[in-house]
Amino acid sequence: MKTLLVVALLGALLATGAVAQDKPARKDLVLNGDAKCTRCHNEGDEAPVLAIGKTKHGTMADARTPTCTSCHGESDGHVNKPANATERPRPDRTFGKHSKTPMEERSGACLACHQGGNRIQWHMSAHSNRDVACSSCHQIHAARDKVRDKLTQPDTCFTCHKEQRAQVNRPSHHPVIEGKMSCSSCHNVHGGNPKQLVRDSVTETCYTCHMEKRGPFVHNHPPVQEDCAICHQPHGTTLPSMLKARPPFLCQECHSHSSHPSQAGGLPTGRTTSNQMLGSVARGCLNCHTNIHGSNSTQNSATAGRFRR
Amino acid sequence: MGSKRIFKLTALCAALALAWGPALGQEEPSAAELSKPESVVLVGLGYWTDDRPRLGVYDGMQEKGPYFLLDALISRRDDATGTWFTLDARNLGLDSREFRAEWLRQGDIGVSIEYNQIPYASPYTVMTATQGLGTSMQRTPTPSATSLGEWQAGTMREGWSAGFYKSLGGGTDFRVSLKNEHKEGSRLWGRGGAPEFAAEPIDSDTRQLEAVVSHAGKAFQIQAGYYGSSYTNRNSLVDTANINAAGTTLTNPFYLSLPLDNQAHQLYVNGGYNFTERTRGTFKVAYTRATQDEDIPVGTGVAVFSGAPTHLDGRLDTTLAQLGVSSRATSNLSWLASLRYYNADEKTPQYRVVQPAGGCGTCVDTTPLAFKTLSGKLEGTYRLTAGTSLIGGFEYADQDRRVPVGNLNAAGVDQQRYVPWRVELQELTYYVQGRRSLSETLNGSIRYGHSRRDGPDFTLTNEAQSDLINPIHIADRDRDKFRLMLDWSPLQALTLTFNAEYARDEYGHSDARPYGLLEGSATLYSIDAAYSISENWQVSAWYSRDNAKATQLGQRNANAGVATAEAVKEANLEDIGDTFGAGLKGTIAPRLKGGVDLLLSKNVNKYPETITPTGAGGVFPVTGGVTTVPLPDIQNKMTRLKLYASYALQKQTEVRFDYWYDRWQTDDWSWLFANGSTFTYGTTTDGTQVLQAPKQSANFFGVRYISRFQ
Repeated sequence: MKTLLVVALLGALLATGAVAQDKPARKDLVLNGDAKCTRCHNEGDEAPVLAIGKTKHGTMADARTPTCTSCHGESDGHVNKPANATERPRPDRTFGKHSKTPMEERSGACLACHQGGNRIQWHMSAHSNRDVACSSCHQIHAARDKVRDKLTQPDTCFTCHKEQRAQVNRPSHHPVIEGKMSCSSCHNVHGGNPKQLVRDSVTETCYTCHMEKRGPFVHNHPPVQEDCAICHQPHGTTLPSMLKARPPFLCQECHSHSSHPSQAGGLPTGRTTSNQMLGSVARGCLNCHTNIHGSNSTQNSATAGRFRR
Repeated sequence: MGSKRIFKLTALCAALALAWGPALGQEEPSAAELSKPESVVLVGLGYWTDDRPRLGVYDGMQEKGPYFLLDALISRRDDATGTWFTLDARNLGLDSREFRAEWLRQGDIGVSIEYNQIPYASPYTVMTATQGLGTSMQRTPTPSATSLGEWQAGTMREGWSAGFYKSLGGGTDFRVSLKNEHKEGSRLWGRGGAPEFAAEPIDSDTRQLEAVVSHAGKAFQIQAGYYGSSYTNRNSLVDTANINAAGTTLTNPFYLSLPLDNQAHQLYVNGGYNFTERTRGTFKVAYTRATQDEDIPVGTGVAVFSGAPTHLDGRLDTTLAQLGVSSRATSNLSWLASLRYYNADEKTPQYRVVQPAGGCGTCVDTTPLAFKTLSGKLEGTYRLTAGTSLIGGFEYADQDRRVPVGNLNAAGVDQQRYVPWRVELQELTYYVQGRRSLSETLNGSIRYGHSRRDGPDFTLTNEAQSDLINPIHIADRDRDKFRLMLDWSPLQALTLTFNAEYARDEYGHSDARPYGLLEGSATLYSIDAAYSISENWQVSAWYSRDNAKATQLGQRNANAGVATAEAVKEANLEDIGDTFGAGLKGTIAPRLKGGVDLLLSKNVNKYPETITPTGAGGVFPVTGGVTTVPLPDIQNKMTRLKLYASYALQKQTEVRFDYWYDRWQTDDWSWLFANGSTFTYGTTTDGTQVLQAPKQSANFFGVRYISRFQ
């Protein structure tokens, strides 16, 4: 759409005889060497081109910063419309939603400078291999890139991740909609880790904030060490602590032990201390098995290994 | 890819959206103004008319009352040297306050400091007479108390971070960051020894230090770093007991252990090399050692087995090695392949912790765990035409799962095991995806994936009934996933997006091992629409419906104490969510703009369970005149409405008015008895009740003065 508008603007200029070639030489405005483009392109474009000057890309004192053609290509055909062309050709590379530039080439323009650091594994990432280009999420010309602000970043992610959009609005959630965390608190969307996590596994990622679960414990609860997501849905659920299911059903996904662990779900009709009736109400099984992530009790008691101490 | 607005509770969000745009009615700015970094300060007052126990858990505005609103985003750049100073300060008047300040000479050197508070205020009000909640000594009243006081759980995370960056030249950078977070408060807990209320005391610090050297050249990029983290807990043991009205302890203390200090050190190297313009290889290796070797606390008078450890000497070594190659073999064909080895190997010594004097039927040993996973992936993408591509791939994972056995019985079965174990697990996944531009305005993609997980026979537990289950995370499983996406722009001003997703799991089970999850499914439909009514008015809306189902089979034992029959249970659990969001924003008058955001959410959870007796006895347990009834459905409803208007006073100043409405409604029975009365802990002890208002609503009025400058 941006490109179409650009073409339309240029067409209008041409129709009035105000062709680019007739303009006097102009100074660069916001990027080194941008006069080639800013003699025609300005804030009238859908994406205000000059706002890039407010960004790190627009820091002209940094010799590494690009000019327009670093990303869009020399675009000679676009700048100097061939005499036999009925329409002004598009720039060599365009980045809008309806861009015909292949994704690899669009991302390649960014990776020419940004292939290091956390983007080393970009080519192995799910985003890269689903034709998600850098510009699919990033606003290069905007003063503030929405996806780099944790308050507004989820808007961008939820464009595709609809399930997670619904989940973060459930009553038990990480503080994403409150702006205290963002998707990138846990996910490196440029990386090649499983589930594109910031660390090498689910547990390692969760430990960055929940280090008390790391143990090792005297009494380990194996799924805790293996994968927090066996019991928790970190994007949000209707249950406390983002549990995927309610006790006793959650616990009975693994435990078929006789006696009270086999109880059916049920609400007691009155006060009781019977462990046959307390698996659903209040904290459910965790009413007693309260140290469910692991216990450090060395008490010489059979219950020490059952996360009650 | 466009983006759709979602509702944000935080006061700053919508204000920022306005603040970063040019003020209405202002003169056309110069090119210099348009390209110079911009700053904004927002200061104001807000008032919530009522408490918001559920919807205010994280935002620092849970309680009714006035709030001071102050946010500032300062961005200054010295164009001559490329030196930036930025300050991003948010919610300074609230408990959720945070700021980040950075000085950066771009491409050379920089330092930053950050402060961040994350509050969590429990949505429940606890009425209790338990003493010392949230401390290391807690006393539960006996007899059960009737005179209860109000208490609320909650935590505050308070984090400080500092960072340093230096360019070493030639594409090589050095970065170091240090973060310390203190967490204090308490959370709902249980006494463990009896179903009585307690609160876990939380007073801990976590620290993270990461130092990285990165080099990025045209062909070769590498990153080598150290990542260290540590956890310090100021509490290690909680002493609980029952006391009488005179404060005399009536029972031996029941001690609850807490997480102990631990630390981890990781070294890693991450690199990539462009073999050609079309082919790239990547690798990553990392080694982590995590340890926990604190004094294991033992309560006064507690019996400890002579062989039990006083220090765990806990150690978890994690090794990662991965390789990847991606290539665009031809203009139409690209592929990638990867291989990953991940070994989390706990090397904690195996100790005997519990051994009764009379024999070893209930002995308990430590159980150091090890999970070693080798996984690989191969994927290809073929572009049939400019707008049509086909993706196919498969993934394979092989996991070696190890836990030592110690307390063996005569048959060689580990007597302390409660859940069947599987020493190996394999999963094979394959998928295909097609993507096509159906026209200039319509794009679509469809994906199907199937995976099968299985492994060798389970190792047995100490109990025949426990061996009848297929544990969810290691059970045989067939998984099918479908996904359909359509993106249609019928008009230049209108975009519609439609998503449909369906996943189905079937878990392995047999006559010999019939229990556990039998099947599950998840469905999601979502539609988004965005329409530009005019240059000055935009509207967007979206609706999602998701539905997750699970069928779970189990055995319920006969129990003479509560007069229940042996039975087979089948639970058909369901979670249904409907979420609707809408937004309208635009220009009301030349100097006045405004908008409205609405979010409606409804979640229904269903817990039907059939209990089919297979022997003599009752269907539901009965004892002491108390029985249980089947679990009712739970419905949660949420409404969040936000209205705002911003009036441009001058070229760079605005005044902004906000009105928000929050509403929460629930019939959650988690803390209720079957007749709807409040659940009460204990019979002869405790008496604690946990309350949640079933209907909560509040209005917010806010006014802010916004000043922008360069």
